[in-house]
Amino acid sequence: MTSIDEIVREFQDADHQEMIELLIDYSESLPEIPKRFSERVDKDLNRVHECETPVFIWIEIEDGKVNIFADVPEPFPTVRGLVSILVSAFDGLSPEEIESAPVDFISRLGLAQKLGIRRVRGLSAVYARIKNEVKKYSEVT
Amino acid sequence: MADYANPEVLVSTDWVQEHIDDPGVVIVESNEDILLYEIGHIRNSVKFDWQTELQDQLIRDCVSKESFEALLSEKGISNDSAVVFYGDRSNWWACYALWTFKVLGHEKCLIMDGGRQKWVDEGRELVKDVPERAKTDYKVSAVDESIRAFRDDVLEHMSSGESLVDVRSPKEYSGELLHMEAYPQEGALRGGHIPGAVNVPWATAANEDGTFRSADELVEIYEKGQGLSKDKNVIAYCRIGERSSHTWFVLTYLLGYENVRNYDGSWTEWGNLVRAPIEK
Repeated sequence: MTSIDEIVREFQDADHQEMIELLIDYSESLPEIPKRFSERVDKDLNRVHECETPVFIWIEIEDGKVNIFADVPEPFPTVRGLVSILVSAFDGLSPEEIESAPVDFISRLGLAQKLGIRRVRGLSAVYARIKNEVKKYSEVT
Repeated sequence: MADYANPEVLVSTDWVQEHIDDPGVVIVESNEDILLYEIGHIRNSVKFDWQTELQDQLIRDCVSKESFEALLSEKGISNDSAVVFYGDRSNWWACYALWTFKVLGHEKCLIMDGGRQKWVDEGRELVKDVPERAKTDYKVSAVDESIRAFRDDVLEHMSSGESLVDVRSPKEYSGELLHMEAYPQEGALRGGHIPGAVNVPWATAANEDGTFRSADELVEIYEKGQGLSKDKNVIAYCRIGERSSHTWFVLTYLLGYENVRNYDGSWTEWGNLVRAPIEK
């Protein structure tokens, strides 16, 4: 698990090309989702509709830890990379840690400045989805 | 079956394969997804990033003449190079790059029909090595703004009832949405379209496999469907001027219209202009 601060530092220190390399690494390291998610017929319920690219997010809370699973098709490496950053930052944290995570986490990565603002559209929606799901889950349990 | 007006601007994947080592040809990849080139590209191709390289980084404009000269010199493109563009999303960004090259006066610009998708679907080779090209001394001889429309041109064009094509989605055209569906809002305060504009979403011109539709189909879509014709002056626009460069390419090269301009200010400018006429 990489901490939020470490990820922010990693991106803040990177130049344009290093950021591309970092995103490729993240894109390639997004874990495969378990079959219990990929084979679900109601998979569309877990789609983040604000994203133009198909992005699916599942949240489970077990033993006080939040497990985040995400699926993004391989032909969209940038989106996979971006979503993978969120998984890497928040998977395994407690619900309280996720709810109190900085709202400006994405802007602190500096993606907009180094890669162009339009490339990060949608990522904020995924981040909001994770936070909301965790909040909803904590409220009912 | 009718042929395209300028079939020579489109090259096939076979043609590109045969010209990979041709010193007179430079293959340029221009994508929306910034990682695709690094993940694998056509051997000997060079990457252009439309946003950080082909646009001015301070003011809203195309790249300056001086920066374009430095950029092309650095990437090893000569004034007489035949530049073949290809990219993701049915060559959407490849067309935007081509339009920018044309504004900056580059003469020989071609598009690989079908773009990256077709190359990949055909199982052709992709490599990670970035070619080392000898630097050149590129000089812009003349900037061609006859293919570019600014807001005052659009106002005049609209007032005289000339053809306008809005290539955004139907919901953006109707004003129901201020941005592409599922894309976050990009800063237009008003929704709708420029009065008199017809709506032909850009992707209507592309087949499923990323290639352009046939000349007959294009005539059907733009002329029979929307009343455009060769003898008319046409301005195409979208939200930020990139989707409309695809339509600009189709009308100019495939249908042979002589007077087509891309309004790169597009809706993010028009939808914010005080007192700019809008229709819903």
